[in-house]
Amino acid sequence: MSEEKELSQQESLSIIQMMINSAKDQQKDDGKGWIIWGWLLFAASVSTVLNLHFKWFNTFFFWNLFGLTAIVLLVVGFIRKIYQRKQRGVKTYTSELFRRLNSGFFVSLWFIILFINVASRQVTEWHVITNAGFALLVNLYAFWILVYGAAMSFKPSIIGAYISWGIGFGMLFVHQFEYIMILHGIAVLIGYIIPGHIANNEFNKLRRKG
Amino acid sequence: MFKDLDPILHSQLRLAVMSLLIGVKEAEFTFIKENTNSTAGNLSVQVQKLKEAGYIEVNKQFKDNYPLTTCKITSKGVQAFEDYVKALQQYLDVGKK
Repeated sequence: MSEEKELSQQESLSIIQMMINSAKDQQKDDGKGWIIWGWLLFAASVSTVLNLHFKWFNTFFFWNLFGLTAIVLLVVGFIRKIYQRKQRGVKTYTSELFRRLNSGFFVSLWFIILFINVASRQVTEWHVITNAGFALLVNLYAFWILVYGAAMSFKPSIIGAYISWGIGFGMLFVHQFEYIMILHGIAVLIGYIIPGHIANNEFNKLRRKG
Repeated sequence: MFKDLDPILHSQLRLAVMSLLIGVKEAEFTFIKENTNSTAGNLSVQVQKLKEAGYIEVNKQFKDNYPLTTCKITSKGVQAFEDYVKALQQYLDVGKK
């Protein structure tokens, strides 16, 4: 672009549109975070159901495995973010919002996980605490999914958030841990995995166009 | 009564820079250069003009031993951009009639 060129009103308008669209593209999310975390949570839920059925290991073996994987992924994600920020060269309002809220989400997540572990050791009816803890986790997922959906104007996440809330509410009335795991898996599928793949599809389409 | 189009904004590159910055919190000089397909020299001159008008803030610092320039639109810049778009709209509406 050059400075000297005399602009018509139509040209001005098309420059504005072009640049605003270019900035908008920066706000698009590839949905990979939802896909990775979604499939990991889903795998942990399904493996736990199978484990309860076939009694391979202790009840929370696959959740402990998930916890270890989560720590590794968080470290890798942190390093990647530093690298991406260097490459991207732009801060959008939504990226800033997510950066600030992300830590809050993870603190709340670890808080509930800690609550499940600490409180369930103090009572004989440990499964009551565990079941309620997983319902609280789904409630937290739903809140974060809604924040994302609202900020990105992304309908699949908004719908997914409300369905997840419904599932979380239903989980309060379920007593068998096996069913809790199945419901947890369904909530993750609807709240994380499906919207994540839709977001990824849209992102790839946009990249191909660009 | 038609409003005059702001001469600071009524230029191809300056308008592109402002349109880009209006949608983001802040952007690095290299990002603006790539997205506006401009040369570093020309962009520097236009960024300076926008800064002098008080439409953008320019922050120069060093990161990992490399100079890093970031630009951010100011509230005066946002107002000027909105006024420019309104004025533009008036001209285009007349063109349609």
